[in-house]
Amino acid sequence: MAGWLLLVGIVTAAYLGFALLALTQARPWQRLGQTAPPTGIRRLALRTLGGLALLSALVLCVVRDGPSFGALLWATAISIAAVAVALTLTWRPALLRPLAAMATAERKVRYSRMETNGKGTAKVPPNNPTRP
Amino acid sequence: MDQTFRKSMAWLHTWAGVVLGALLFAIFWMGTLSVFDKEIDRWMMPDTRLAAPLETVSLDRLLPQAAAEIDPNVGLWWLGMPGDRQPVAEFWYVDMNGEWYGPAFLDPRNGARIADQGTLAGTGFIFPFHFSLHLGWQNLGYWLVGLAGMAMLALLVSGVVIHRKIFADFFTFRWQRKLPRSSLDLHNLTGVLGLPFHFVITLSGLIIFFAIHFPGVVNSVYGGDRATFNRDAFGSFQREATGAPGSLAPLDRMAAEATRIWGGDPPGFVRVWRPGDANATVEMRRTRARSIDMNVDAVHFDAATGEVLRTHTAAPVVHVQRFIAGLHFIQFEHWPLRWLYFVLGLSGCVMTGTGYVYWVETRRKRHAAQGLPGVRIVEGLTVGAVAGIIIATLAFFVANRLLPLGVTFAGQERAALEVWAFYLIWLVTFAHAWSRPGRAWREQCWAIVGLAMLAVVLNAATTGDHLVRALAHRHLWPVAGMDLLLLAGAPVATLIALRLTRRRIAARPSQDALKAAE
Repeated sequence: MAGWLLLVGIVTAAYLGFALLALTQARPWQRLGQTAPPTGIRRLALRTLGGLALLSALVLCVVRDGPSFGALLWATAISIAAVAVALTLTWRPALLRPLAAMATAERKVRYSRMETNGKGTAKVPPNNPTRP
Repeated sequence: MDQTFRKSMAWLHTWAGVVLGALLFAIFWMGTLSVFDKEIDRWMMPDTRLAAPLETVSLDRLLPQAAAEIDPNVGLWWLGMPGDRQPVAEFWYVDMNGEWYGPAFLDPRNGARIADQGTLAGTGFIFPFHFSLHLGWQNLGYWLVGLAGMAMLALLVSGVVIHRKIFADFFTFRWQRKLPRSSLDLHNLTGVLGLPFHFVITLSGLIIFFAIHFPGVVNSVYGGDRATFNRDAFGSFQREATGAPGSLAPLDRMAAEATRIWGGDPPGFVRVWRPGDANATVEMRRTRARSIDMNVDAVHFDAATGEVLRTHTAAPVVHVQRFIAGLHFIQFEHWPLRWLYFVLGLSGCVMTGTGYVYWVETRRKRHAAQGLPGVRIVEGLTVGAVAGIIIATLAFFVANRLLPLGVTFAGQERAALEVWAFYLIWLVTFAHAWSRPGRAWREQCWAIVGLAMLAVVLNAATTGDHLVRALAHRHLWPVAGMDLLLLAGAPVATLIALRLTRRRIAARPSQDALKAAE
């Protein structure tokens, strides 16, 4: 039972890791109907979190199966997790919207502050829903 | 990067791919299936679908009982212990001329011999096809596979060199675009994300056969003395036969002693050299189910007294080689890894297939305009190599369920007839692919759908182990898994059939042109 739970944890962590890394790139954001990925500190944060998720997948693998089987499990599982992220972006990009919303959450706050300052027109995050 | 270098790498990648891609696909396809070779065995050998309570099997009962039915004057008995993936014991023997006979399958509960299932199945046909192509003459198959493996490494490296946007396109697969674009995306996606697996699996495959591809290694150190090399590296050990009759001490006691020496790991297989002779030896080999490396741990016993004659374990260099081999052979018991290997193996098939589709689609118009035959030839080759071998494999399964046990035709036994079905159908797919350009893809994909469904229906009809029943019993899960994969393959083939022919529906040229202009 613990083995199965760990397996679910490994798959989730690996998928989440690559999803976060994908959210620092231009093409995945286009698929999500946005024009540009986050930049600067936010991008760094996404990459760090993505890397940490992949690392935690490795830790879970080693906990589950020891260093030798664990390393092999990790190396093969993350390949497939990455393909799964790519296929999600192809066929079900909407599934990644919640994650994308979290990645841009703070930015929206800043925009609304600008609105309350009364400077110019109401700005919304660049959003182009016409793209598939 | 230097443009000349990149261009030359592109040339290498293109032409090595076109020339050897068909061979690579066959090797990848058979290798992928070999991940589940023993499960395929269960599907193709219904009488071996035993609900074996895997308790300790008495060797003292199994081995003499199996050997009682054969000529007592043989060179070797070989007995594979039943395990998680193979509930039956497996018996082989070697006659005095070095010829191998087997396998005979034994019910581990009572030692009864299971009727010959008349098939080579997964371990006898699909797995050896993967590394030998069943071309035994002069080891030709091994050399071709070795060549393809070296080419594969070159293709992987050159592919990385010529990929211009390896990180920007890391997660990119534009399914909706025109066929050249979407097939290249899929080729890159499986190539880049599967790269660690593809590289390691190819390299390890080459390292397994070092003694065939690089015989100089053994020759230079051992002066061609293979026997000494095999003793040092793998622990081979035999004694000269005396010609005087001998006896066989209790085997279970020897197995218990070997298990004690290995810290609790039981033997995986047992060999008796020169059984019946006064100088007979019993060789126990440690199970490979519990670690990645394919250990060469052995304990040799004096058959008559049961005394330990020799123990062997791998030296460091051999240990490394056996670890690398173990990565490739996956003889260990680890279901999640087995499935991951299977999926990654399929990704290799997808990579090879889409590489071909890209080559054909980018040249189609130009070749048509210039009257070149290249596209037509390569498209036929692609369809036969990709869809054709899948159809042939399914025909192999279907023939297995249709041919009655014990049937012979034109002097060929049942097992050979199945293999004939495979090769003849494969030939037919090539003929079909070359004679019906443009339609072959779609028609062969539909053939895959039909044959996959037919195989599932035939299994249910001829064995009664239909999907619901198979899922309900643990010992039938290999059968259920095979049925489920066949059923899953059908919609995938449908999807591909529709996708590969969509470009002929010229409904949206403007939209495609718009996207291409972006």
